[in-house]
Amino acid sequence: MSAVGAKPGGSAGIDPVASVVAIVLMIVMLAIMYMIGTPMAFMALIGIVIGGVLIGFGVMFVPVGGAPAAMGQAPGIATGVAMLAAGAGLAGLFGGAWAAQTTSNLLVIVITGAVGGGLMMAITCLFVNFIYVYGMGIPAASGKVKKDPITGDTQTEYKSQGTEGHGLPFVSYVGGVIGGLFGGAGGTLIYIMLLDVYEESLPAMMQAQSGQLLPIPAAQIMPIAVTLAGMFAIGLFLVNAVLAAYNITGTIEGPHDPKFKRWPRAVIASATASALVGLVAIMIVAL
Amino acid sequence: MENIVFGIGITALAGALATVAGAAENTESDIGSQGDPNSQVQLAPQMGYLHRIFNKAVAGEPPAYGLWIALGAGIAWAFMAMQINAILAIVLGCALATFIQGVYATTAYLGRTASLAKFGQPVFVDILKSMTTVTMAHAFVAIFTTVTMCHLINAALGHPFPLPLLGLVWGIALGAAGSATGNPFYGKERQYQTQNFGAGVPISASGNIVRYAEAGQRNSLDNGWFTAKLAGPASGVCFGLIVFLELWRTVIFEPVGAGWGAIIVGIILILIFMVIDRYIEVWARKTYGPYTKPEEVSS
Repeated sequence: MSAVGAKPGGSAGIDPVASVVAIVLMIVMLAIMYMIGTPMAFMALIGIVIGGVLIGFGVMFVPVGGAPAAMGQAPGIATGVAMLAAGAGLAGLFGGAWAAQTTSNLLVIVITGAVGGGLMMAITCLFVNFIYVYGMGIPAASGKVKKDPITGDTQTEYKSQGTEGHGLPFVSYVGGVIGGLFGGAGGTLIYIMLLDVYEESLPAMMQAQSGQLLPIPAAQIMPIAVTLAGMFAIGLFLVNAVLAAYNITGTIEGPHDPKFKRWPRAVIASATASALVGLVAIMIVAL
Repeated sequence: MENIVFGIGITALAGALATVAGAAENTESDIGSQGDPNSQVQLAPQMGYLHRIFNKAVAGEPPAYGLWIALGAGIAWAFMAMQINAILAIVLGCALATFIQGVYATTAYLGRTASLAKFGQPVFVDILKSMTTVTMAHAFVAIFTTVTMCHLINAALGHPFPLPLLGLVWGIALGAAGSATGNPFYGKERQYQTQNFGAGVPISASGNIVRYAEAGQRNSLDNGWFTAKLAGPASGVCFGLIVFLELWRTVIFEPVGAGWGAIIVGIILILIFMVIDRYIEVWARKTYGPYTKPEEVSS
């Protein structure tokens, strides 16, 4: 009657035909952008694909226990994979978008976003363990490994009877922070790429539509560009997070979980989905 | 200098608002069984345990709060564009978003409970009348504080995102932080209060939630009272820290080293939280001890 008892659906292996089809589709979409878009739009799409891959890969690190974790029946954070990753990644996007106002250094902006996501996860994971330890009197224990790969702490004897483990062992905590870092970086990269394209293309498009001869001031264009880029960045984030969640099927403890071996599928799927959504996001202004 | 002092003041105020928002969000979600523990509320009648617990879960907390806060922020933003006073605009926007939450809670309870009809679970109209308004009141506090926080971030600190987008971002983050922190306390400690303290709920006990209170049958107001003692405040401090530290490191350290200052401070903060977490983990292992003897000894 519980997700814990369910057998994991899907194998860790990669379906070669499906993967090749997905990669070909991604290349086709990049080729379309290369042919019809400006070089800047093409580079932006590549940036969006990289950002999507970072998000899809990052979600695999986030320790999510879902409903069983809420009863102390399974380790991880007691919420959904996609939503937790989105919460962390969007907190990172918030920081990255803010940094983009004051600096044009892409590296600084993306790392600021990454640290924002990592900080959100560091605080959230700490409070998960705080509640388990001080609110419920339960120590952290993994159900998937006998020893914590980072600290070497034994896990089996700290699992209470009839459960798969509970709380966040240190390796899961570190996995959560790494997931937040990747998610924040990916979301911010997508935002910056789209913002550059919109800042470049929107003035000419808006001027042509309004029929005015005088150039439209930047003060009118910037809010629209920021809003559009932010909305598409959030949308792309959710697309990639949900794809990765389907790949995980239910719960995952972090990088030490056997399900983590499915990451190549998440990366391929995220790259293809990001290429498609990115193509649409760029084409609404670039054509 | 004045700018920095102003920024610190706004940061502190936003952190305080976020703390209240986190506490209200978690209590609202626990009264409505919106988070992951709703699985047990839904499962109990199927196992033969009929109950009077409110159950308004359709979406998880993060998307639900993303919707409500983006809605409140969007309406407030529209009113502000109509030159209505900011405070009045936020109150009106949040009130309308709260009504949407009330509709959502009503239809969710009726729909979810009606689906359990074949297991004999009745729809209690008095539960609907008394619980919905309480969740709406808590939802209003959570939505109002978060929208106000977003308005401060946008108008006073100059974040480039417009108010509705900030509402969506911080609404999802609020739901994620609140459900991650508060759910285990409600799910394990309250729903399974008869199970042993200091251990997870055995999978075999799933569905056997506590249905009786000191007098009469337990309802969700009792659950709200219980979880407001630890899960609510802990969720509040969690979300408050996330907002406060994110703003603090940006407002104070963003100008340092062309943006690298905020990054370095963020990494230091992450490492500090990591050390605290490790301390808590080791403290629990030492203080509570193992449940069974280590395998090498027993074999």
